[in-house]
Amino acid sequence: MTRSHSPQTNAPGAARDGYDHLMPLFEELAALDEHDARRSELRDQLVTAHLPVAQHIARRFSHHGDLREDLTQVATLGLINAVDRFDPHRGTDFLSFAVPTIMGEVRRHFRDASWSVRVPRRLKELHLSITAASTELSQRLGRSPTPSEIAKHLKLSKDEVYEGLEASNAYHSVSLDHVLLQDSDAVSLGDTLGEDDAALEGVDYRESLQPMLRQLPERERTILILRFFGNMTQTQIAKRIGISQMHVSRLLSRTLEELRKGLLEER
Amino acid sequence: MTETQSEVSVEDEPRAPNNVEVRVAANLEQLSVLRAVAAHIAMREDFDLDAIADLKMAVDEVCSTLIMRATPGSTLTCRFQANGNDITVQATVLSDSDSTPSRESFGWRVLTTLTDTVNTWIAPASADPGGYLTHIELVKRRGSASG
Repeated sequence: MTRSHSPQTNAPGAARDGYDHLMPLFEELAALDEHDARRSELRDQLVTAHLPVAQHIARRFSHHGDLREDLTQVATLGLINAVDRFDPHRGTDFLSFAVPTIMGEVRRHFRDASWSVRVPRRLKELHLSITAASTELSQRLGRSPTPSEIAKHLKLSKDEVYEGLEASNAYHSVSLDHVLLQDSDAVSLGDTLGEDDAALEGVDYRESLQPMLRQLPERERTILILRFFGNMTQTQIAKRIGISQMHVSRLLSRTLEELRKGLLEER
Repeated sequence: MTETQSEVSVEDEPRAPNNVEVRVAANLEQLSVLRAVAAHIAMREDFDLDAIADLKMAVDEVCSTLIMRATPGSTLTCRFQANGNDITVQATVLSDSDSTPSRESFGWRVLTTLTDTVNTWIAPASADPGGYLTHIELVKRRGSASG
């Protein structure tokens, strides 16, 4: 959480003062006729000027393991809603209105998008405790644990562990994983780009693969290369990148599927 | 057999009490069934989480490779055998192609990384309907303490 923060986004308190000059724009917007061409111009200006607020909120929630870019999009959507719905004549300032609106949007995103099907709360909690236990046991054992080791650790039956592990199939890669991606830059670009090229040396299909690898998000590409050309296990990759093994597994499966589609289209 | 049909049978040969055979329409939509069976068997065998995920991805790769070369309307057969220290998966599909899947492809790289051994071969199918049976067989060993 230390990189690439522009100074004006550090604290909402500090930022708050920075937005006062925008109030007249809200007044102007509210006064305009619904079909006035200037509306969209003003709206864009207000959304752009408040983007740091959305980014700030997205960053706070990205502690919970979601992809920050996804969250920033969701938060920006919330911001646009807030700009559209804000009434300057109610006597509150925009931020007091916008912050809860944006946070509501982000929370809804977690509720709706994290689990692809409706999963009982008990299973979600089970999944989270299994993820946490698996990370802890991996550190202790130097490899990923087996279901029976997890069961013993959590004092659960093996069947319950099976159930929790299978629930993770309903879990999207956009997730509330507890062991989290603090910063997707944890493995830096410089770190992996050189490795990519070296790892792909002498691979016959390098020419068809490389353009597709370049299209992958950096983290997905890194994971793929470390697994299939660097021969690291998922657990080792998880540790290196700072996410859970199950999260690595989901990202890998999804990336392979995308690559397969890509390789198929190419033929 | 319709597109959504799938069939799981447990063979009861005394020598191989842990055999599971799944037959599905050779259709990419069936992949999730095969993935789930693979993961479930590895879990029951108490493989570690890495090995469970590896097997699941490998089965996904094998079956999608076979489905993409399958004769339209044909059936994919996938046999899982738990042998204590490893799980063997043998998948077979009817194909019009008389060549094995490429061992030079990225997909093959994925398979060799995820499994301990993997092999592919073809055999002529019976005269009716003709064509070739493409087989892929893989073995995934139980993860060792060294990872």
